[in-house]
Amino acid sequence: MQSSISFILDGKITSIDFGKAPEIKPTTTILNYLRSLPTHKGTKEGCAEGDCGACTVVVGELGLDNRINYKSVDSCLVFLPMLHGKHLITVENLKTPSHELHPVQQTMVETSGSQCGYCTPGFIMSLFSLYKNKNKPSREEIDDALTGNLCRCTGYRPIIEAAAKSCVHDRLDDFSNLEPITRNLLQSIPKESLRIHTPQQLYLRPASLGEAITLKHQHPDAILVCGATDVALRVTKQHELLKEIIDLSDVSELKQITESDAELRIGAGAFLSDIMPVVLKPFPALHDMLAVFGSQQIRNLATLGGNLDTASPIGDTLPVLIAYNARVILEGVNGRREFPVEDFITGYRTTRRKADEIITTIVLPKLDGRSWVKAYKVSKRKDLDIATLSGCFRLELDNHSAVKMITLAYGGMAERVKRATKTEQFLLGNPWNREAIENAMPLIDSDFTPISDVRGGAEFRRVAAKNLLLKFWSETNGQS
Amino acid sequence: MGNPKNNIPHESAALHVSGEAVYVDDILVNEQLLVGRVVYSPHAHARIKSFDLSEAKKVPGVYAVLSYKDIPGHNQMGPVVKDEPCLVENEVNCVGQVVFLIAAETEEQCLEAERKIKAGYEALDPILTIEKAIEKNSLMGPPLKIERGDVNTSLKKAPHLIKGELRTGAQEHWYLESQVSLCIPGEGREMYVYSSTQHPSETQALIAELLGIGKHEVVVEVRRMGGAFGGKETQANHTACWTALLCWATKHPVKIRLFRDDDQIMTGKRHRFLSRYEVGFDDEGHLHVANFELNSDGGCATDLSFAIMQRAMLHVDNAYYVPNLRVVGRVWKTNLPSNTAFRGFGGPQGMALIENVIDRIARLLRKDAAEIRFKNFYGLESNNVTHYGETVENNRLFMIYDQLMKSSEYEKRRNAVNEFNAQNEFFKKGLAITPVKFGISFTTSYLNQAGALVLVYKDGTVLVNHGGTEMGQGLHTKIQQIAAAEFGVSLHRVKVNATNTAVVPNTSATAASAGADLNGMAVKNAIDILKGRIAEAFAHIWTEKYSNTPRQKDGGQASLQHSIMFESDEIYDRDHPDRCIGFAEAIPLLHLRQVPLSAAGFYRTPNIGWDKEKGFGKPFYYYAFGMAITEVLLDVLTGQHTILRTDILHDVGDSLNPNIDIGQVEGGYIQGVGWCTTEEIKWDDKGNLLTHSPDTYKIPSVQDIPKDFRVKLLEGVPNPNTIRQSKAVAEPPLMLSLSCWLAIKDAISAVANREFEPEFSLPATNEVIVLSIEKLKRKIAEKAKLEFIEQ
Ligand SMILES: Cc1cc2nc3c(=O)[nH]c(=O)nc-3n(C[C@H](O)[C@H](O)[C@H](O)COP(=O)(O)OP(=O)(O)OC[C@H]3O[C@@H](n4cnc5c(N)ncnc54)[C@H](O)[C@@H]3O)c2cc1C
Ligand code: FES
Ligand code: FES
Repeated sequence: MQSSISFILDGKITSIDFGKAPEIKPTTTILNYLRSLPTHKGTKEGCAEGDCGACTVVVGELGLDNRINYKSVDSCLVFLPMLHGKHLITVENLKTPSHELHPVQQTMVETSGSQCGYCTPGFIMSLFSLYKNKNKPSREEIDDALTGNLCRCTGYRPIIEAAAKSCVHDRLDDFSNLEPITRNLLQSIPKESLRIHTPQQLYLRPASLGEAITLKHQHPDAILVCGATDVALRVTKQHELLKEIIDLSDVSELKQITESDAELRIGAGAFLSDIMPVVLKPFPALHDMLAVFGSQQIRNLATLGGNLDTASPIGDTLPVLIAYNARVILEGVNGRREFPVEDFITGYRTTRRKADEIITTIVLPKLDGRSWVKAYKVSKRKDLDIATLSGCFRLELDNHSAVKMITLAYGGMAERVKRATKTEQFLLGNPWNREAIENAMPLIDSDFTPISDVRGGAEFRRVAAKNLLLKFWSETNGQS
Repeated sequence: MGNPKNNIPHESAALHVSGEAVYVDDILVNEQLLVGRVVYSPHAHARIKSFDLSEAKKVPGVYAVLSYKDIPGHNQMGPVVKDEPCLVENEVNCVGQVVFLIAAETEEQCLEAERKIKAGYEALDPILTIEKAIEKNSLMGPPLKIERGDVNTSLKKAPHLIKGELRTGAQEHWYLESQVSLCIPGEGREMYVYSSTQHPSETQALIAELLGIGKHEVVVEVRRMGGAFGGKETQANHTACWTALLCWATKHPVKIRLFRDDDQIMTGKRHRFLSRYEVGFDDEGHLHVANFELNSDGGCATDLSFAIMQRAMLHVDNAYYVPNLRVVGRVWKTNLPSNTAFRGFGGPQGMALIENVIDRIARLLRKDAAEIRFKNFYGLESNNVTHYGETVENNRLFMIYDQLMKSSEYEKRRNAVNEFNAQNEFFKKGLAITPVKFGISFTTSYLNQAGALVLVYKDGTVLVNHGGTEMGQGLHTKIQQIAAAEFGVSLHRVKVNATNTAVVPNTSATAASAGADLNGMAVKNAIDILKGRIAEAFAHIWTEKYSNTPRQKDGGQASLQHSIMFESDEIYDRDHPDRCIGFAEAIPLLHLRQVPLSAAGFYRTPNIGWDKEKGFGKPFYYYAFGMAITEVLLDVLTGQHTILRTDILHDVGDSLNPNIDIGQVEGGYIQGVGWCTTEEIKWDDKGNLLTHSPDTYKIPSVQDIPKDFRVKLLEGVPNPNTIRQSKAVAEPPLMLSLSCWLAIKDAISAVANREFEPEFSLPATNEVIVLSIEKLKRKIAEKAKLEFIEQ
């Protein structure tokens, strides 16, 4: 067990011993750490909640194939120990030693991609991540890479242009040239679990599932974090001092994704961005929902385990998991338990998970090909927004085009993600036609009594929830 | 597309992209630096009964906990009317109004001290809506009025008359860099202030008055802002004043950077308006008469609310000639943070009103709105005087309309949209064109002045100081270009200095889109003075040197002076091109000859004047014009929309820098789209802001821009009598976004085959859209029922 962390910054290994640096806590974010250094003021804070991307940095990590993967993340959401064993790249690191701008920087200058410049370092890092991951990206890929960055000045057009022009690899950039050296440096950092104990906090970062389960048993009150995209806000926005933390982000078992003919098993700690390509074919509705989940920076951190355990009434994956009949596997020292997602969630942000358990796996049984599943998210802004309401619907028809099975799972309509059971009951056995749908729509009012809040009024939610039903019908009608 | 030669990148672009550009929060300070924190009222309206700071002061690491009692000078931050205390004394008037200040070594210590402050409030009844303000007659000041023609009679006589109401929402500036200031104590009573402010001179003045010291003891410096948009015109002063007070009390450097949520909670926004109209017109859609009543939510203090209301009233005609027009504007006082300047400065609210009216008229007459707009444009020769008496000169409306309708293939696309709508039930398309005519100049006429100080050094480099501030709009780049062009030297010789009150005094805010117009002219004036001196010196030098070869054209030295040119980094005699010296070589010679190599420049806008009382005169030096056509696709069932295509043609005269100007047009349009669509501000019934972070307050993201975005600058239209024939750009393009708003309305209205006027407001959020469509559906059903019964 180690009590200090090491990562690469500015081309060399930087170590932080939390015992010796009282101004730095294990829950200090990368952003606050960087801004405390005189040489890293380029990384900006715009919101401290993952919504603006001004703080974007790129983290390089050794993959299983021994290559370095580069990912953009919001540094305002990442606790320092999560960097252990990784390569932190900030906007200051992109110029070559001879002070030439990186292609993404140079092109941003040429396209007038900056006006006030405050959002620019964040955009540069998202562009850099795009550059490292895509050659000649499509407009969709560019949009997706930039959704997590807000700019109030430019109107984005020149930034999109910069992305299209610069992410064309005709030569290796400095980072590729230096990869062997970086790899050696990364390999030189011992991969061990961390135990950081300061007078105020205990931060545990187990390196295996077994260890994690034992630790959770020993510290049942410890807060689990995986991507920290929910938990970090308690620190950055509520100024909470988290006393005991178990950080699951280094548990490789939780990141595994395995597929068989019958099902897909997704580790609770797998990043949403890693899940997306895997579910594209077998579970397209989940893919669609993940495509509008946060931003790339968020999906590079966030996990299904985190979304499930938060059990928010507007957790985006929950209606989808319910519609797909997904199951949750929990593990603790006393063994494993398994629940359908629908039963796992018990109320407003409550679940069946016991204090000493960890969510390990989400199991998605494959469909037999005769049902349709569609997911919808209604939010004020189409991207990087929390749903006002959402729905994921599943339909199976019999030979006479009557409804044989239907699941209507809604988010944002009640204190928890919930099915519209009365509406479902009504539709069962009915023909799948406009008349039946229109007769079913009013029943939504007997299934839900939504509230008015900052994201939308009750009336809007009621009307939109009914409309989603009509939308589902219009998109499945005729295809049966 | 403009002069490509002018297309240089933003002067700080290379620093922006490498993270080296320094903003206030990035300035390195010694370890004495303290963190400042504001403590604000949790009540919208309350009396402070008592407070006790003693426990808070005991927290280790805390250097100061201040209340109004600790203010050495004048407890005021109001920019025009002195109704904004720096720290509240008795009565708080909004949530977020600052009552106490803390300085400590760390943020945690500040938070700890804040928890230990004891303050007792007696809650009072707050006014949180314009309606309630009207009910309670809570006026901020006397109503304003502008009137032309015989409105009452015309209303009676008009062939058609419509009446209605429009609500336009507040908008949060959402500059990426929140309000921030750093104060460093100097010797004696001196204070050096780094502030992210659009108005350094006012920041300086308010700090001096607050501390009871001379303005000559306070220096305010602004290198750049991370966005401002009007939000740092008056309200940056607040953060600077609080920081200065803490600095004064502790004799330490102090920095306050508002946390995003605090910034959103505490600072003012674009004024929300509740507007009413009565408009008369004929069968052809010609406007005969309009009676407008504008009500704005001023918030709890005056700030710039009256100037903003005035600009709204001066833009309620937008591009249209209305022979009889009355507009009355009332600013209402509520218990919300004082609303303030925001790009457009009332213009958007005024224009939204008349654009919505025209849209409604078109629907009533079953004509295309483009046609009604065109018919009512200000004429070139007649019908060209506004309701406040200014003649619309150099009218570009027809030119822009013709070019844009053609290049965007409006007619063809209008038909395609109608066809699409006939065939699709769950998706509708909408299309709209809207014009912008925006008056350039501060309507408070004396503010139209600017100063500069230009320094030439012995190595031939030039340092330009001027009173304008850089907030991303590219002002310094344009000034650098202007200076280089006027001096005939390469850009690399010219640097624009950080704005500094110790160098150029008594400046106006960088606002009203007039930054380059005013400061550019002041810089030119300084350079003209310098060039005069240099030319005179070389007239001497060359007369002495070439005394044996007299000049062909006689006239002696004086005429020689006029034939001396500044071009391509050289100074030469036009009549004897061989008499030539490099700029850099010339300067040391001039120094030896004791020629002063710095000059102050000044400019005041000529020929404008405006009688606020009478509502009559020529408030604007000229108008900027533009038009946009936006096409949207609306998901009828969810209210979510996509901008399929936007075509913009905008007039910037001879562009000083086409890239920068196009950036301003695009950025302004998108910022306006935000105001028109997703940027909704909500308060609870206690006056707490609910949308206090980007989690709930949604500005446009990269995916919200038009899928096809075509922006062009109008060609071949030099603007007479302005710096290098250019026009201001910053604000006007924002209002081009009304085309998006009305395209959405067009799509909504297609649900009922344009038969009914949809319920509509601004912003058109998906909620507004879905509920409006729901009502239309009900109307269709009612109508069908009636028809059924009649049969
Ligand atoms: C800017 C931003 C945008 C967002 N957008 C969306 C969105 O579009 N849709 C949406 O649904 N959510 C969104 N979220 C919320 C958040 O990203 C998700 O809930 C995410 O899935 C959380 O995953 P995480 O790994 O980051 O969770 P963490 O923050 O690490 O943890 C969240 C909770 O889950 C618990 N937990 C984590 N892992 C486990 C585990 N393996 N076993 C048991 N408990 C566990 C933690 O104790 C904690 O209570 C957004 C958040 C941010 C900051
Ligand atoms: S600071 Fe806005 S996303 Fe991190
Ligand atoms: S350039 Fe100002 S926010 Fe993007």
